[in-house]
Amino acid sequence: MKKSRLIGGLLLLCFLPFLSYAQDDQEIAPVTRTFVLKNATIITQPGQMIENGQILIKNGLIEAVGKSVSVPSNAKVIDVDSMYIYPGFIEGLSRTGVPRPKDEERREIKDPGNPPNDAAGIQPERSVVDLLSADDSSIESMRKLGFTAAHVVPHGNMLPGQGAIILLGGSSPEEMVLASNTSLFSQLEGARRVYPATTMAVMSKWRELYQQAKQAQQHEKNYKNNPRGMTRPSYDGTLEAFYPVLDQELPVFFTAESVKDAYRVLALQEELGFPLVLAGLKQGFYMTDELKAKGFPLLLSLDIPESKEEKKKEEGEEEDKEKAKPDPEKEALKKRQKEAIAKHQSQAATLSEAGLTFGFSTLEVKSGDVKNNLMTMIEKGISEEKVLASLTTIPAKMLGMSDMLGTLEKGKIANLVITDKPYFSKESNVRYVFVDGAPFEYEAKKPKKKGDASAKVSAAGEWSYTINIPGQAMSGTFKIKQDGDGQISGTITSPDDGSEGELQEVVLSGNNLSFSFPYDAGGQAMKVSFDVIIDGDEVEGTVTAGSFGTFDVEGERIGVPD
Amino acid sequence: MRSIILLLLFGIIASWLPAQEGTLLIKNGTVLTVTNGTLENTDVLVADGKIRRIGKSLSAPAGTLTIDATGQFVMPGIIDAHSHLALDGVNEATNPVTAEVWVGDALDPLDVGIYRALAGGVTASHAMHGSANAIGGQCETIKHRYGVYNPNELRMEGAPRTIKFALGENPMRVHGEGRNIMPRTRMGVEQVFRNAFSEAKVYMAAQEKYEQERRSNANAVPPKYDRRMETLADILRGDIIIHCHSYRADEIAMLMEVCKDFGVDRLCFQHVNEGFKVAPELADFGAGASVFADWWAYKFEVYYSTAYNAAILSKNGVVTSINSDDSELIRHLYHEAAKTQRYGGLSDDEALALITINPAKQLGIAERTGSLEVGKDADIAIFSAHPLSVYAIPQKTIVDGVIRFDIENDPDDMRLDVNPAEDVPAVYLHTEEIDNCMEGVFEQLFMGEK
Amino acid sequence: MKSIIKNIGISLLALLMSHQLLAQQVSKASTGTFALTNATIETVTNGTVKGTLIISDGKIADIGGNLPIPSGATEIDCAGLTIYPGLIDGGTRLGLAEVGSVSLTEDFNEIGDATPQMQALTAVNPNSVAIPVTRVNGVTTVITKPSGGVMPGTASLIHLLGYTPKQMYGDFQAVVINYPSSGRRGRFDRRSDEDIKKAEEKALKKLNDVFDEAYLYHRIDSAAAGKAEMMPDYNPALAALLPVVRKEIPVMVEVNAAKDIQSALRWVEEKDLNVIFTGVAEGWRVADEIAAAKIPVITGPVLSLPTRQSDRYNRAYTNAAALHKAGVKVALRTDDAENVRNLPFNAGFAAAYGMGKEEALKAVTIVPAEIFGLDDQIGSLEKGKIANLFVTDGDPFEPKTQIKHLFISGYNIPLDSRHIRLYNEFLDREPGLSK
Repeated sequence: MKKSRLIGGLLLLCFLPFLSYAQDDQEIAPVTRTFVLKNATIITQPGQMIENGQILIKNGLIEAVGKSVSVPSNAKVIDVDSMYIYPGFIEGLSRTGVPRPKDEERREIKDPGNPPNDAAGIQPERSVVDLLSADDSSIESMRKLGFTAAHVVPHGNMLPGQGAIILLGGSSPEEMVLASNTSLFSQLEGARRVYPATTMAVMSKWRELYQQAKQAQQHEKNYKNNPRGMTRPSYDGTLEAFYPVLDQELPVFFTAESVKDAYRVLALQEELGFPLVLAGLKQGFYMTDELKAKGFPLLLSLDIPESKEEKKKEEGEEEDKEKAKPDPEKEALKKRQKEAIAKHQSQAATLSEAGLTFGFSTLEVKSGDVKNNLMTMIEKGISEEKVLASLTTIPAKMLGMSDMLGTLEKGKIANLVITDKPYFSKESNVRYVFVDGAPFEYEAKKPKKKGDASAKVSAAGEWSYTINIPGQAMSGTFKIKQDGDGQISGTITSPDDGSEGELQEVVLSGNNLSFSFPYDAGGQAMKVSFDVIIDGDEVEGTVTAGSFGTFDVEGERIGVPD
Repeated sequence: MRSIILLLLFGIIASWLPAQEGTLLIKNGTVLTVTNGTLENTDVLVADGKIRRIGKSLSAPAGTLTIDATGQFVMPGIIDAHSHLALDGVNEATNPVTAEVWVGDALDPLDVGIYRALAGGVTASHAMHGSANAIGGQCETIKHRYGVYNPNELRMEGAPRTIKFALGENPMRVHGEGRNIMPRTRMGVEQVFRNAFSEAKVYMAAQEKYEQERRSNANAVPPKYDRRMETLADILRGDIIIHCHSYRADEIAMLMEVCKDFGVDRLCFQHVNEGFKVAPELADFGAGASVFADWWAYKFEVYYSTAYNAAILSKNGVVTSINSDDSELIRHLYHEAAKTQRYGGLSDDEALALITINPAKQLGIAERTGSLEVGKDADIAIFSAHPLSVYAIPQKTIVDGVIRFDIENDPDDMRLDVNPAEDVPAVYLHTEEIDNCMEGVFEQLFMGEK
Repeated sequence: MKSIIKNIGISLLALLMSHQLLAQQVSKASTGTFALTNATIETVTNGTVKGTLIISDGKIADIGGNLPIPSGATEIDCAGLTIYPGLIDGGTRLGLAEVGSVSLTEDFNEIGDATPQMQALTAVNPNSVAIPVTRVNGVTTVITKPSGGVMPGTASLIHLLGYTPKQMYGDFQAVVINYPSSGRRGRFDRRSDEDIKKAEEKALKKLNDVFDEAYLYHRIDSAAAGKAEMMPDYNPALAALLPVVRKEIPVMVEVNAAKDIQSALRWVEEKDLNVIFTGVAEGWRVADEIAAAKIPVITGPVLSLPTRQSDRYNRAYTNAAALHKAGVKVALRTDDAENVRNLPFNAGFAAAYGMGKEEALKAVTIVPAEIFGLDDQIGSLEKGKIANLFVTDGDPFEPKTQIKHLFISGYNIPLDSRHIRLYNEFLDREPGLSK
């Protein structure tokens, strides 16, 4: 218990409070809001390219795009020679900038069959705008991938609230919000321990709220026309939130990861007739025909499974041992799993092949995986152009933002991504992101140290490490002990009080060192895993902190074993 | 020469074309019709998912899929009047009355349990809400069309609506003991029903009043839409069959009294272990009884049970079925039915009726299923030996004329959806009986507590 | 006058009878010498004999084609009927469990992880309602065993007749080990793979620690040769393991997942014990390895689900046959309490799914008798064996077959149980519908 608290403290330090003032430290007030980007390959929109082009940005807007633009004297000129400029990416559905609420102390609810609406997860009147945090680390995580705008929704269960479209830049929620109350967000998620706890109760409650809203709207209308002698309609904010949906003015963004949930949502829609965007799909490949027939806007999940071959490499040794005895059952199972992985990875390609278009939902996906997953989708057969459209023009249109977002055209908001190589290539780095005309500059990543399973290195000694968390760096040390018969163990030190925690799952495979330790993030148990490559006295790799994400880490050996 | 090649080509193409879905001919089997006796060396012709002819030496259009059932037994597809197969979630255990929820909203067509039931000759089942609440959710009669991904395609279209009620220990434990909310006793259980039905009557009256007022006043305000009340009203109108989890004779008698008082007459008791004690009353009411062949003693209210329950009920004129309530038991309902021959000496047809025409009657689908008759749905199970023999092995199971289980041609691994994250499928070991009717309750009641 | 006396007689009789019915659990068994004549006798070990079987002094006195009927013997005409040896269930909780959900009536799971000193026999309730219910289906003998934890206690073999546990005891005991499991306890078991692995490792460590101590205890106890001051310290758990490490009684190792079976095979090889594997649900995956280790297996229930979603639907049905085919000595069990009566049907399914009737019958008679080292006493119809047998009008595995007579330890047991009594009372209930 003591151990987890100490490490918990260590990590809380690095994830929560530092961020706000760390950023203030770095910022220098900008001199001008006029920029000229020169000598780049400009992809103005999917399929359209200007070689050696220029862009003029002024007061947050794209002022001009072309082979050459006039350069005002107050402009800051950025030479992006041989780089590539894309329209800024748009998250079709996400919670970027919306911090996960802290686990509340469990409320004592006397009658779980009739809980208050907020406990039941029924808060359609709530706006995500009130929940935004401009310094949430997720904003920088997504921005450095090239995302500049997002349709964001609250955390919650059945009806968490209304979505808004935000820019992934700005120092306050007010600055970020591009449009508020742009969607009603819903999930087939039951509440914890109270009604509605199950999918079937959520479905029932949905129908009931919808019909009640219809009644209430009619009642209000009638009352407005002629209140005399009529029972006064009582105010109900929950039902009122449905009115624009009933009027077909506000779309319901309904998540449905599995094929089963997707069919359930479609059935509910067919029954009630609300405007729908089907979001977070992971298994659309099972129902391509139905998706086509229905024609609802789609958002595919960017969370896709990893291929097995890549993962297996480190376990190569064990596999060899087992290869001695061929096991047809294991082979068959592996084959089916491989097929399943491929199907999920190919969802975008399959749907695109069928003539469907879609944006992407980034709910549930780790930011560190986003680019890899996009690349995998392309490997599986969807064109780069279509992926780019799914990140730009399609979500812009779906969200009713085509006049502001999605392409590099005069008059649109200056949201753009600049990479040193074409974005959809393994080696590309995002070098600049403009959000609302404000630049964010990024370093090119050094080439990653390469793993080598046959390398023989020693991990023993004391190591310093620095985790690169957006907006700050977090440092500490760990010690690794290796005894004669290959036994390996270690400890990690807390920077504040110097106390030590035991490392778990310490494995050295070739030059690849990995270990983990448990950590209690305010009641939520999670695992922090290091995965680094040792090169002489240097280490480099990643740290995964539960669902917070994956971060780069580097360090060096500061002490040799005694 | 050229024409020969053409002919050959045609032949190949013809064999490529899939046989007409839902059309086949079963040749030369011993046909157990259940309602019209046993027919030796008889054929069954199926077209478009329906039984078209039953007779000797039937022929079918060329290319019709033909099954040689020589030496085999052909019976109506088995129907399970009580199961929790193919469901994502069984209990909305948060309230003693949850009439508005409907398991049809949470069907799981990917449940490999459906296939395993097919491998036991079961073609349809009654996917039920659990028994945590006195008035649970509405249930769904499903056909075992394993292979579809759309949950809606499992539904047996046109089957009457049904709802789960529950008496005794389960609702008392969940709400009374668990939360200090009525019912804690069998007295309280009765009052939950009376309250619910009475409130529904008030709701119905308010609706009626509104309908009348509306004719003269366009601004009439309707009563607030309430799905729970809507459902209860549908029960009172006779649109929904009650299937009630029950054990003790006294509580069974109680619900019949309540139903009489509220004019409800579509009632089938489930489990009903002490049904044999009130068999004359059940017969008099016209209530069905869907029982276990021999399960008992797993809780106090089934301690005074007997494996002769089905026989006593049948012989007293109660429409009786044998059900599974369990994903293992559902695989050998034919064997469960056979136990009534040891415990009470039922005839072959009486025993088979317990898993075919009788559950069909209890679910209100006997017009379409439950026996082999011309015009009925082609839901058929083919066995290697008489299905009441312990040595009988199901060979093929047909739903709407489509072979959904085939002992010879099916691969071992019949999962429809493979979890990409799962390297090796988990190993699930046999456990002592669990109360399937209480599935999901524990999580909702005690999650995070000791 | 006569009619009055008659009437009084009848009402008195009725009064007596009703009183008796209230007090009685089942009708009383009778003893003596019995001659079962004109029977088909399935001896199991010596083929089928047509003729007579004589029961005397609790034993099978003789079997033969044309035996003289001993004087004073009760003759039971078994024309058209078949005699089978009493069926043996290799794993139950019979007598230890009365009402499933009422924990205070459940006596098979004591507190503690390693409690081999817990004696199942101690807690056997001879008057459990399930016992008559079971034996009228031809099951005369069962292993009743504790469960839960790593070493829940000592199992016993009991015959299903007697008024004290001692009277029922059938000369066989074994310490139960639940081998650390990598499997899930049903679909409600939502532990992570890691948690399962941790629990498994912890249990294995516990098991090994206890055995290390047990061997030490044995060494000290043996060296002490009865000298009080040299005896090991009081430790009932380790004392209960003495006969195990001295190989005087076997261990019944409950193990099911293929991986765990392989691990258990390595474990028992190190330990040098008399071992019986029980459960063995995934035995078909590693049948050759079990056969090579020559470890007998008690598997079941046959009527259960495959262990994995990806498995063929009938894997549990065919498991016993696969093990048998690989050369493993296989007996069956129900692993049940109130429905041990389904043992013959479990055997029927094993027979249908590849084992064949003959081997399936052996798997519930002579094979378990051999596994328990009791094949000189039970498991077949042979002269000198305990008279545990039943008489049927057909195949004992077929549900429609009726049991006509039942003998346990030579007692003629009326075919009576609460289930039958309720049938008799309620088939034509009086009063019927009228008030």
